[in-house]
Amino acid sequence: MVNKKWSRRFFIGVCITPALLLLTLFMVVPTVQVFRMSLYSWGGFSNNQEFVGLNNFILLWDDMNFIRSFQNSIVLIVFVALATIIIALFFAYLLTNAKVKGSSFFRIIFYIPNILSIVVIAGIFSAIYDPESGLLNNVFGMFSLENLEQKWLGNQKIVIYSVAGALVWQAIGYYMVMYMSSMASVPKSYYEAASLEGAGKMRQFFSITLPLIWTNIRTTLTFYIISTINLSFLLVEAMTGGGPDGSTEVFLSYMYDQAYTNSTFGYGMAIGVVVFIFSFVLAAIVNRITKRDVLEY
Amino acid sequence: MMKSKNLLLTISFVLFSLVLVACSGGDETTSSKESEGKSDADGKTTLHIAALESAYGSDMWTKITDAYEAANENVEIELTIEKNLEEIVRPNMQAGEYPDVFLLATGRPEALTETLIKEDGLENITDIFDKNVYGEDVTVSDKLLEGFTDTLATNPYGEGDTYLAPMFYSPTGLFYNAGLLEEKGWEVPTTWEEMWELGDLAAEEGISLFTYPTTGYFDTVVGSMLYASGGTDFYNHTMTYEDGVWESEEATRVLETIAKLADYTHPNTVANANPNDFTKNQQLVLDNEALFMPNGTWVVGEMAEAPRAENFEWGMMPIPAFEDGEDRYAFTFFEQIWIPAAASNKDAAEDFITFMYSDEAVSIFLESGAIQPVQGITDLLEGENKMYYSIYDEGVLPAMGTFASTEPVPGVSMGDTLYGAIDSVMSGNLSYEDWQKNIEEASDKLRPAMN
Amino acid sequence: MKKKAKGLSTDFLYKLFIYVALITLAVSIIVPVGWVFLASIKENAEFYGSPWSLPKGIHFENFIEAFRDANMGDYLINSIMVTGLALLILLIVALPAAYVLSRFHFKGSRFIHSFVKAGLFINVSYIVVPIFLMLLDWDTGLRAMMGDGFFLNNRVILALIYASTALPFTIYLLSSYFETLPSDFEEAASIDGAGYFKTMFSVMLPMARPSIIIVVLFNFLLFWNEYILALTLMPGEHKTLPVGLLNLMAAERAAANYGPMYAGMVIVMLPTLILFIAVQKRLTQGMTVGGLKG
Repeated sequence: MVNKKWSRRFFIGVCITPALLLLTLFMVVPTVQVFRMSLYSWGGFSNNQEFVGLNNFILLWDDMNFIRSFQNSIVLIVFVALATIIIALFFAYLLTNAKVKGSSFFRIIFYIPNILSIVVIAGIFSAIYDPESGLLNNVFGMFSLENLEQKWLGNQKIVIYSVAGALVWQAIGYYMVMYMSSMASVPKSYYEAASLEGAGKMRQFFSITLPLIWTNIRTTLTFYIISTINLSFLLVEAMTGGGPDGSTEVFLSYMYDQAYTNSTFGYGMAIGVVVFIFSFVLAAIVNRITKRDVLEY
Repeated sequence: MMKSKNLLLTISFVLFSLVLVACSGGDETTSSKESEGKSDADGKTTLHIAALESAYGSDMWTKITDAYEAANENVEIELTIEKNLEEIVRPNMQAGEYPDVFLLATGRPEALTETLIKEDGLENITDIFDKNVYGEDVTVSDKLLEGFTDTLATNPYGEGDTYLAPMFYSPTGLFYNAGLLEEKGWEVPTTWEEMWELGDLAAEEGISLFTYPTTGYFDTVVGSMLYASGGTDFYNHTMTYEDGVWESEEATRVLETIAKLADYTHPNTVANANPNDFTKNQQLVLDNEALFMPNGTWVVGEMAEAPRAENFEWGMMPIPAFEDGEDRYAFTFFEQIWIPAAASNKDAAEDFITFMYSDEAVSIFLESGAIQPVQGITDLLEGENKMYYSIYDEGVLPAMGTFASTEPVPGVSMGDTLYGAIDSVMSGNLSYEDWQKNIEEASDKLRPAMN
Repeated sequence: MKKKAKGLSTDFLYKLFIYVALITLAVSIIVPVGWVFLASIKENAEFYGSPWSLPKGIHFENFIEAFRDANMGDYLINSIMVTGLALLILLIVALPAAYVLSRFHFKGSRFIHSFVKAGLFINVSYIVVPIFLMLLDWDTGLRAMMGDGFFLNNRVILALIYASTALPFTIYLLSSYFETLPSDFEEAASIDGAGYFKTMFSVMLPMARPSIIIVVLFNFLLFWNEYILALTLMPGEHKTLPVGLLNLMAAERAAANYGPMYAGMVIVMLPTLILFIAVQKRLTQGMTVGGLKG
């Protein structure tokens, strides 16, 4: 029996050690470095690193540009999460419950934006949003809705939603497939029973589908937070460069700006620390307030 | 069981890496400071040149390399020429491998040159200008055009020591369709008053007075206007962040004028003023939708293949004067060549820089349209270029310079506050009073950080 | 009779509404993506007109230019190597770890579980510089000892780091799949006298195939499209495709030469499209069984 115990331990050790080592080496150690560098003043090239304590964080508090990038990021996270959930649930419900011809065709097409490189997406959307020849304004023109035409990337009040639009476009398919898979495991008999009682499609969705896939939706909320922070940075860099006048600056683009362009590397890392803690806390809060009793079926 | 062997291999590899971390933890400071010259077996010095490939193309650099290797047999040149030079070179530099000579101007979005200035990473090259041009009997300073080594653009710390040598200059100004103005019988405006009048006339025809590629192009406009408003000394005060300078009458006049320009700017401008779409704004001028845009002579080549209105013909004018009879300025943009302080072959690098002003090099550059700031250069020019470069022959004054370098200040960027905010001024989201206040605040924060 | 007609028409309206919604979204995806393909065969002068006009001819020289002048061919090979190797490392490391974490309870297993989950929050974009500085340090150490660096500009190291940064998500996904498997199989294997390793390799891993396909697809997309790490850690010649594309875009935009830029986009996009079409059936199946239960 001792032998058995040891071989179990050996097995567990062999299986998880490589993963833990790699995680520590390439994820934990660099993260600790980010935290450490946030306490220094350093330009990025020379060897004179000066310890400044929490000074970088104190400066952040007064930096209006940082606060604006903070607001922009929050707007993006909230808007992208809400819009994607609603649209993805809607189409997932249609494709699983309505007998649609060519449903697998639609499923494939809807997923395509998610496999594109963000660089390609930026190229596509700057053509869509073009004020003169862009698809969006042309479509509005076609339906005589000229008053809806906009400078999608020029109007500073809406440009952040234009960025959000591109992010939603690329995210719908991914989350839709995810919701579809959990909807598929809801037993058909539930709907049949509800239908006999006279509940309409809407009723059925809210009283059967939604509660039963709630756990799945909760999990995706965390994904929205993480991926929006990351993707908004990549997209903004490639599409608007943070402009006009910083109105699409987000967390990480501002961090890069400060770490490199403004040669204040330590300050940039301090922004990184704030983003990290913020995303962690936000996910924890969202997780807490969305907690419901799990319904089993 | 093959797979568990793989696992063990991975583990031992990772362990090995960990040992390395432990070994190399302590020597952070020794990395980059080896400065002995590299020479290969036959005694030749290998000189590493890093140059930005701009609109002039890369051919001229290979020709220059060949010409210099022919002239100086002790040197072998290794050339890095890239359009995104910063991205290529930065990691190597952080790894301690510095090129010996850089051709990379300030004012690029990646700001690598500025970073090195802030970090004291440039070699003092003041003595180059007393040396003879390589292979010739004239000193560099005798050959250079006047004024090119007197500004903060070459002497970033302001003390008369030169760290960057001037290269390829180009006048900038407001570009327009000369054919359109002629056809409509409109005069080229010389004062802002005439500018507004023309703006109203053009508006009746559905043409906007003004557009700009991106806000970055305002550095030359604002520079010229500051010169025009207060003269050289005033300009230098603004560039060295003097207290209250942005709230002075002269500066207010400049900012107010730009704010007024907002009413005359093509409505699509702000939407396209990003690195992706700025050519669409330039296209507005080609399509007769907007009259003027700030730009440099490179725009001609940049838009060479673009479709354009009938009878289109490029014209360039200086920034208008504030009052009739006052001075008009056209900002001179030039690139810079410099030696990193961490370079390994500094002497050879200095010789190479003097060669840039030799007759041979000047004519190689000229073939590709790159104009060196040397005596007698305007006589060598032809065609459109002659028109642009002779702008100064007609009483228009050259303006040059840039902001004084500072220690990095977290969260404060003069470029963003002064130029970047123009998008907001144009779209009406920022009044010029608030803009002025922000600039003065940024200036206050940068003043103590000047080095 | 009347009632029936009305019923039919609401049903019809409902169907109509469904199809309009589905087709709108489909069009909003097909048109822009198709546009990139069309733009890649356009001639330069066509880009100044309406971007929605159809190409006037087929200009494959855009692709030739992208491959020859911008080295996209070499970058393609680099990308294939790095992505393939990273996937291999990832599977070798993540599968056993996920298996053990979900099927065994031992001292510290809860802690390790949350440790891995916390890794989901570490964003590659902000640890890339510390990673670079770390490799740089090792290289400087190595140079002092052997006169040459090893860690930077190394496709194998890049693949290793890709695999490491993908571990949290992959382990998370795989272990939630393993949790759903009934324990009968292990018990049966144990009665047959199979050891832990044998049970894992011959019983559990084969059962995990559907979720392995998901993991491969997701991470393929991730690795293939990644550019921040590749840009920083590969300053030398072994660039990957997205970095090459960025260079190409910077170059062609500066020269206002748009055709090859879109050709480059197509070169980056095509492999992911092909792989996706090939495995898309498995994808939905796998997601169904693998699910993502929190």
